[in-house]
Amino acid sequence: MMAELAFLFGVTRKLLGGLPLTIELVTLSVATGALLAVAMALARSASRIAAVLVSFYVFVFRGSPLLLQMFFIYYGLGQFAAVRDSFAWPALRDPTFCAILSLALNTAAYTSEILRGGLASVPSGAIEAGRAVGMSRVMLLRRVVLPLAIRQALPAYSNELIAMVKSTSLASIVTLMEVSGIAYALVSETYRAIEVLSCAGAIYLVLIVLLTRGVWLVETWLSPAGSRA
Amino acid sequence: MAVASGEQGVTSGSATEAAKPVVIEAIGVEKKFGANKVLRGVSLAAREGEVVSIVGASGSGKSTLLRCFPLLEIPDAGDVAIAGEVLALVERGGRRLPRDIGQVQRVRSELGFVFQSFNLWPHRTVLGNVVEAPVHVQKRPRAECVAEAEALLEKVGLADKRDAWPAQLSGGQQQRAAIARALAMRPKALLFDEPTSALDPELVGEVLRVIRGLAEEGRTMLIVTHEMSFAAEVSTRAVFLDAGIVGEEGPPEQIFRHPQTDRCRAFVSRHLARG
Amino acid sequence: MGNALRLVGFGPTGWGGTLLEGAAMTLALSVCAYLLGLAIGALCAWGRLSGGRAVRAMIDVYTTVLRGVPDLLVIYLFYFGGGQMIGAIAHLFGATGFFGLNGFMVGTIAIGLVTGAYQTEVLRGGYLAIPRGEIEAARAIGMGRLLMLRRIIAPRALRFALPGMGNVWQQVLKESALVSVTGLAELMRQVNVASGSTQLPFDFTIAGFALYLALTTVSGGVFMGVERRVAHGERMARKQRA
Ligand SMILES: Nc1ncnc2c1ncn2[C@@H]1O[C@H](COP(=O)(O)OP(=O)(O)O)[C@@H](O)[C@H]1O
Ligand SMILES: [Mg+2]
Repeated sequence: MMAELAFLFGVTRKLLGGLPLTIELVTLSVATGALLAVAMALARSASRIAAVLVSFYVFVFRGSPLLLQMFFIYYGLGQFAAVRDSFAWPALRDPTFCAILSLALNTAAYTSEILRGGLASVPSGAIEAGRAVGMSRVMLLRRVVLPLAIRQALPAYSNELIAMVKSTSLASIVTLMEVSGIAYALVSETYRAIEVLSCAGAIYLVLIVLLTRGVWLVETWLSPAGSRA
Repeated sequence: MAVASGEQGVTSGSATEAAKPVVIEAIGVEKKFGANKVLRGVSLAAREGEVVSIVGASGSGKSTLLRCFPLLEIPDAGDVAIAGEVLALVERGGRRLPRDIGQVQRVRSELGFVFQSFNLWPHRTVLGNVVEAPVHVQKRPRAECVAEAEALLEKVGLADKRDAWPAQLSGGQQQRAAIARALAMRPKALLFDEPTSALDPELVGEVLRVIRGLAEEGRTMLIVTHEMSFAAEVSTRAVFLDAGIVGEEGPPEQIFRHPQTDRCRAFVSRHLARG
Repeated sequence: MGNALRLVGFGPTGWGGTLLEGAAMTLALSVCAYLLGLAIGALCAWGRLSGGRAVRAMIDVYTTVLRGVPDLLVIYLFYFGGGQMIGAIAHLFGATGFFGLNGFMVGTIAIGLVTGAYQTEVLRGGYLAIPRGEIEAARAIGMGRLLMLRRIIAPRALRFALPGMGNVWQQVLKESALVSVTGLAELMRQVNVASGSTQLPFDFTIAGFALYLALTTVSGGVFMGVERRVAHGERMARKQRA
């Protein structure tokens, strides 16, 4: 029994060693993805051609597995000598960079759809009312459109954040030693899959519960009193 | 004692009706939601062919009372009886429950309930709504049910809407379809809970016309309504429900023209002035 | 470039047939996992809606855990841990050696369990979206529980749950790529193998994108068709008003 507990404790400690990398993958890819998504939303409204390109991008990245996307960036691009000789090659050869890039590109596609849904949900009456009292375009966006759109999009974005935390485990397939990568190594080392994977699962679960809690706080903070369903 | 008060209610109706059997009856029904005592001992009966209108202020318990007859609400005390058959209730774990759910289902299928909000099933056509229960609950042959349903739709003026979907109908049409659905069960009594309250004013007339027709056929009906002049015209007896008890009961001329109690007089004058 | 086309294509030296077989395997795996998840979800939604406190708590734990743990770990759990469990049982009967579930079973169970958690929420939401009056009308007309479930509740809940069920299907199709870690010859695995032996990972990932997009798009269209059929009455009415 004691030996058992000591084993679980040791495993958890080793797994936690991968937590900083997991968190790094989440934060960098989510931040990059959010910027990309906003850029795409702006591009969409700027020109018809950009809108078509963005739609195609979203279609491809939402319609195919993240693992394939990661594989494409890590292995696929290196097929060409031109890429291998370019300035980008040191980065594209780095699994951490490739993992973050593919996670960011993936979440950007989902986030841009969520953003679009949020913007579409803003009632035209609210915008009209803002115009009627003489708000400028920028002020209208900042004081009316964005607060309403973000409040509406937050639950969906919260789900996307959770999905991203889980998706970082795919980085282990391109050899990164984040929590899942370490778990995989420990399973091959100890042959005690159930114990090791349960500990790893628990770490993700705690991470996600904390994240959900955080988003919930933001949500209450953003909601005007009495408007919560 | 509870039964006696029910009899008393009936005898105050017209003398010629007295010989007919009682079709639907509430006996000392009480119901509370939490601390809110909604019904405080209501006894009420309708004999065959009677049209009893139930009026009263909003929140006085009219809907709750009506919903007790098919046991959509279960009374905390008292009983309901349909065609002389008391719906057996038993105490279990501090709650009152039907003793025999089969009996409840059978009796429900013998009553027609028409809701304020129609409650048609949107995934079935108008005809589909009407034949649903005769075919699946009463297990009657489909062809027979369809023929009867078509006749009923004709009667409520919806023959041409047979294959329409509920969402394609106006409120008045939906309510008439709901009445046809209730009639398709060949019910012993019809219960209406404010059948026109959810309708635009210009659609009220078409529904009242259908209900008036049913009254003239001699159907047994309980009608909760705020349409005072309509109630005065079609009902054989009226009941004024006041904060969970029968405040006054009598022929429509009494309730709507010469109320005996102060509270009923106040209620009626308020509503007639508005209507 | 001509060489690459030949390799991705269907000729004697081409990998086209292999990729298509992989796509078929992806589809088969996804269908099995989806059906398992649907069965689990229906059962759990029912338990969540009408079970006792203990049942509801257990289902909550299940949905929370399986939605909060990476799918890859769940697949590993059945891939490596499945062998551990079966091995333990086999040893009791005197058998020795390494035991494992095959990749197809691992994938079906793991993805079925994960998406069962999502389906639970989708189906529960579908039930809760039914206007209460429609159920009330069914009760008032004397329908029994089973009849009501079959004629009113199931079709109405389905109508509200279908969009969510379609999303879960898309999720299953994409997550199935993770089962490639078990060596199961589904599409992702075949892309991987073909890339390795031809040294043309770019061409084969592009082919992979095309096949996955075909799968998600076509099946998405099928779901939309079903949705349209189920929502028939309401859609007709909208069209008429417009
Ligand atoms: N299911 C319920 N739960 C709690 N309170 C209820 C419920 N149904 C009715 N009530 C309460 O019972 C009272 C009487 O309601 P109701 O019978 O609908 O009145 P009426 O139909 O005369 O307007 C109201 O105060 C209402 O809030
Ligand atoms: Mg009412």
